[in-house]
Amino acid sequence: MDPRPQAADHDPVVVTGAGHVLGAPCDPTPWLKVRKNRKFMGVQDDLAVAAAGQALRAAGLESAALGERAGIYMSVGYVPFEREHLDLLRASSVDAEGRISPLRFSRDAFAALNPLLTFRCLSNMPAFHLSVNFDVQGPYLVSYPGAGQLYLALEEAVEALRTRQVDVALVCGVAHQRNALVEHHFSRLDPPAAAERLLDGAGCLVLEMARHAGERARARLRALEVAYTPAHPFEDTLVADERAWGARLPDGLLGPASLPVLVSLGLGAEIRHQVHTADGVHGVSTWSSA
Amino acid sequence: MRRRVAVTGMGVVTPIGQTVESFADALRQGRSGAGPITLFDPACLPTRIAAQVPWTGPALRDRKVTFALEAARQALEGSRPPGMGGLSLGIGLELFSLDDLAARERPGFVPPAARTERLTFLQTPSDLCVHLIAKRHDLRAPPLTHVSACAAGTDAIGAGFRLVASGRRDWVLAGGADSMINPLGVAGFARIGATTTANDAPTRASRPFDRRRDGFLLGEGAAFLVLEPLETARARGAYVHAEVAGYGSSFDACGISEPHPEGRGAYQAMSRALAEAEVSPAAIDAVNAHGTSTPKNDPVETLALERLLGARARAVPVSATKSMIGHLISAAGAVEAVAAILGMEGGWVHPTINLDEPDPACGLDYVPHVARRHRQRHVLSNSFAFGGQNAALVLRSADAGG
Repeated sequence: MDPRPQAADHDPVVVTGAGHVLGAPCDPTPWLKVRKNRKFMGVQDDLAVAAAGQALRAAGLESAALGERAGIYMSVGYVPFEREHLDLLRASSVDAEGRISPLRFSRDAFAALNPLLTFRCLSNMPAFHLSVNFDVQGPYLVSYPGAGQLYLALEEAVEALRTRQVDVALVCGVAHQRNALVEHHFSRLDPPAAAERLLDGAGCLVLEMARHAGERARARLRALEVAYTPAHPFEDTLVADERAWGARLPDGLLGPASLPVLVSLGLGAEIRHQVHTADGVHGVSTWSSA
Repeated sequence: MRRRVAVTGMGVVTPIGQTVESFADALRQGRSGAGPITLFDPACLPTRIAAQVPWTGPALRDRKVTFALEAARQALEGSRPPGMGGLSLGIGLELFSLDDLAARERPGFVPPAARTERLTFLQTPSDLCVHLIAKRHDLRAPPLTHVSACAAGTDAIGAGFRLVASGRRDWVLAGGADSMINPLGVAGFARIGATTTANDAPTRASRPFDRRRDGFLLGEGAAFLVLEPLETARARGAYVHAEVAGYGSSFDACGISEPHPEGRGAYQAMSRALAEAEVSPAAIDAVNAHGTSTPKNDPVETLALERLLGARARAVPVSATKSMIGHLISAAGAVEAVAAILGMEGGWVHPTINLDEPDPACGLDYVPHVARRHRQRHVLSNSFAFGGQNAALVLRSADAGG
């Protein structure tokens, strides 16, 4: 599949800043404008805020009032849940035979359930934390859960820039994968992915139209294409494949974070990224210096 | 050049109707779908009521997938547009099964071997639903999976609308599906005090804009719209239910669980939808409110509507579908868009039931108790999510736009 060249050479979509974080824990506190929200933040929120903070700083927009003219286009990995929380839930819900007791669940597990957990694992919360810490009031798209959906978010960001819905688009991918629930999911696929291959990470690109960016432009989106082969989740087997040229992807699986991490790592180089996801989405893009 | 976008198919699975026709009847009658939770034993959870879909057909382990497949089937029945179709789905997240969690720790547990059982054991990944629908209906354009919580259904329709309007898709099946009426879903919302605890009077529990509201009633279901260029629909003689004319979204960039106190984000989303539809607030004939029946949402949504509609605000009927079916979370916006279109087609606005004593901070015409004849050319449909993500649609009646 060849990426479709991006038109409008006189005013192309450019990258003005990029940031990424690999591995958890990471510290988002330098970027927090609203410190009281720290208690609501899970690993995926920390990763997203830190990557976006770096990207906005690199774009020279760290202290800009983004407001209504900025939007967030992101893809978030599978819902995370830590082993200790699963164990606590089970231990406070089972009867003597190890079966779930509705009474115990509704009484003991309910009391033991940390209400903040709801906030820390929801997929729309990274977008919330970006909006509140960087004062983004514009439109959004929050997609789920893999590299293919990141490509679709990128397409929407490009469209939003071209149609002047926004002047600044934050394109972010975030995946918190080293936890019991996500590791369980990847272990049951055909073929399975070992837990050691799963990475925690986030990447964020600040996209603008070249005219708006002026001399802040660092790289240019040259071409982009997304396609799809419908695949039956229970019957068909598609083998995932991801490749990069011009910069090196970390060894492991980054899910929706892979493309923005790659562009961040090789910002300004001639980069080509191609992904075929196990769910049938194909994405390919090329990037170059501005 | 942007294309006008027609709705040429609809499908619903809701607590008060599992076909478009039965849903319309129930809306007009103001019927509640609420009752005690029977899908599991809620024992002594603070919330023990919900609006369940009385589903009797075969079901997958994850109910929302079953509902989505059925709503998609209905929407496409006899109404498949030409060209390559796409999908835009707002869907709830996969919660895990407590029974499976316990089972895998018991001695002698053998993990399921067959792929179907493996992929649904402990949890069914929500994106699986997208690919099941795409495969079943041969939708070959890349599918979008929206997880913007309570705004996801509206976002899915909005994104689908733009894909068709801009010519990036030939047509799109757009909607939402969710079911969180399970132990973790109900407990999670109850733990943060979001749901009603009026367990003794289920059908009276969801009371948007009423002074005695105490939280939302959880519901479940799915809805889909078939979106295609109006020109294509007319050329092939398809029945046009309505048009999607505009979509807007915004962030509150404020509190995590409470809306902006002045309804800034809600106002921005509605304003953007109007701007895209190229209509003024004076053109809005009715509103399908987010109307959750939570203490914080309803007055702020009222404020935002008052600011948007100005002097006309009290003359525009505002209906809350959630008074009858509860909050369908990621499916809410899609089901409510269908409700709004049915009202436009039939020339009525459905009631907000249980509105006995309006909150003094909620001073609009919420169509209390009884449906009303009302001609509508443009309707605004709102969804505002936990986390400050706001979305709004402008829907146009099929005979309004020439």
